[in-house]
Amino acid sequence: MIDRVLCKKYVNQSMLLWLACGLALFAFSWMRVWVVSLLDMQQFTTIIEQFRDFEKFSPIAFDQLVTYTGRVGATFDEPLIIICVVVWCVARGSDVVSGELGRGTLEMLLAQPISRSRLLLSHAVVSTIGLLGLCLLVWLGMWIGIQLTVFEETVQPPTLNIPFFNIPIPLSSAEPETVTVRMSERVEAGIFAPSVVNLFTFGFFLLGLSTLMSSWDRYRWRTIGLVIAFYVLQTVMFGLAKAAEPLAWLEHLTFLTCYRPQQLTVTMMDPDVPGVWRLFPAGDEALGPMMYPLILFALGLAAYLAAFQVFRRRDLPAPL
Amino acid sequence: MSPDPASVPHSDARPAGDAAVAGAEDADGGALVQATKLTKRYGDFYALRDCTVSVPAGEVFGLLGPNGAGKTTLLRLLLGYLFPTSGTATIAGLDVTHDSVAVRRLVSYLPGEARLPRHMRGSDVLQFFAEMQPDGDLVRSRRVAERLELDLDRRVAFMSTGMRQKLAVAVVLGARTPLLILDEPTANLDPTVRSAILEMVSDAQNEGRTVIFSSHVLAEIEEVCTRVIFLRRGILARGLRLDTLKQRHRIFAQIDDQIDDQIDGVPVPDALRGLVEIQPFTPAAAPGTRWVRMDTAGDLAPLLSWLDSLRLKRMRIEPLGLRAIYDNVHDLVRSEPASDEETS
Repeated sequence: MIDRVLCKKYVNQSMLLWLACGLALFAFSWMRVWVVSLLDMQQFTTIIEQFRDFEKFSPIAFDQLVTYTGRVGATFDEPLIIICVVVWCVARGSDVVSGELGRGTLEMLLAQPISRSRLLLSHAVVSTIGLLGLCLLVWLGMWIGIQLTVFEETVQPPTLNIPFFNIPIPLSSAEPETVTVRMSERVEAGIFAPSVVNLFTFGFFLLGLSTLMSSWDRYRWRTIGLVIAFYVLQTVMFGLAKAAEPLAWLEHLTFLTCYRPQQLTVTMMDPDVPGVWRLFPAGDEALGPMMYPLILFALGLAAYLAAFQVFRRRDLPAPL
Repeated sequence: MSPDPASVPHSDARPAGDAAVAGAEDADGGALVQATKLTKRYGDFYALRDCTVSVPAGEVFGLLGPNGAGKTTLLRLLLGYLFPTSGTATIAGLDVTHDSVAVRRLVSYLPGEARLPRHMRGSDVLQFFAEMQPDGDLVRSRRVAERLELDLDRRVAFMSTGMRQKLAVAVVLGARTPLLILDEPTANLDPTVRSAILEMVSDAQNEGRTVIFSSHVLAEIEEVCTRVIFLRRGILARGLRLDTLKQRHRIFAQIDDQIDDQIDGVPVPDALRGLVEIQPFTPAAAPGTRWVRMDTAGDLAPLLSWLDSLRLKRMRIEPLGLRAIYDNVHDLVRSEPASDEETS
């Protein structure tokens, strides 16, 4: 099904980009856990309260964000993580046909006894495994960060709450006690597994879309432009849907709705819902938690299948 | 119906020559490549129109024509890069559209402007393509590269256009496929390397391999090809065997004023009719003089006594090269279509 020699070529071709993205993702994920430890939870709560008016733009409620797990889980929505994954997917997906056509190297490649489907599949396998590796590196970085990060936590003195007035009265006049805490005591890395799956399916969709555009196009710059334009448009739609109630319906027209790593983390933490690894909804959920990654994966797969059809049937122009 | 691709011979276990000959045996009537009314149309524009070509096994088959004549379109159709609008083509009996992968097992193709992965070194490129092609032979490719004095340690990105062309030639000529398709193989190369490549093409033919050779350089076609076709504006205008071309001559001579009437009036003897075509003209460089141009076909000996009887002056006899045919084809296409006999 796939060609070993071609896979080797694609691995060599993409190695530098993968290493660069992988290093950035790994280091950032690790560092971000450490950064979380720098800001005391009390301070963070104070800061976040200032932005209460903008809570609707947050993927999860602020109250759920004010936990170490919630703060570490927000890593998956960090621009750097998104950018690295998007760069990998668009760069690799756009290269497969229009990239090779533009460089003129597809001629010699397809002069060899290899079918177009096999070429595309070999490329897809290498790119998808690369994407999976990047997602796992994010997780690894977080895991190492969680294991190695140690921070000081302030323990507030016991208080007595006056009924009706709701005023806490400290029971001790001593200075608040600080204790050393390991991040692993507060956060368990395994809780982010659904988010990693979601990040992977988010990338897989973009990879499929870029491959589809590439298999139809003959200029790589145009392929990249089209995919980025689509992504920006979807981001704008997503933002508008969040910002204005009358435009909330736009949320159903953007794939970004299906990228919800923080919600998955919250669901994972919630003892009142029956787990996160399910496709069917519970309570007032619209869809089961894993239905969202599944939709992204299905869209990516559909894009790949369309790419196979387009590439198999198209005329390949001579290089310019 | 196409034969089973598995039955198409490979040269894994036997010399290339054997494979090539066996490959030819699979094809109908000994033709390794057979295109029938092959047409490629883009909207109203015909890149290739009703092209019927038969390439016998073991020949070096030349493709001639100006830019945009349809040479590359024909080659790309044979390789499955393009899908024909109508018509069919087979290589060793395999349909080039439906059995494209099996067809490409039999073919080594050198594109007009070969471009190779820029991140690889020369040696990596040879190894990559030798592994991709079942009939690839790394040792042979290295030998070709050595003969072309190519530095294989250099990355493709840092190679000159000529070096990249040499590298592509080494890839293609190294493989032991029965059919070689070379699109302008000597472009961007110096005269020494050009001769080396032409020698290697002749060597390939001696091994029993078939070569389709597209070029703008008429001298190269004359040197290596056994048969040639002329394409113009997507139409196959003419085809001829090069050995018959070598039997063609062009005679220039000045007409003696005294026998001016004779030259027009003297009929060509019956025995020579059809072998000679006469056309009087006045050269711009010598106004007031009358000259005659005769194009002959076949053995010159029977003509000589008749020519002597015409008492011509300043006679010059030269082989009728491809240049003359090439020029003639352009006029021919404008005035009359090629007959089936000429194109088949």
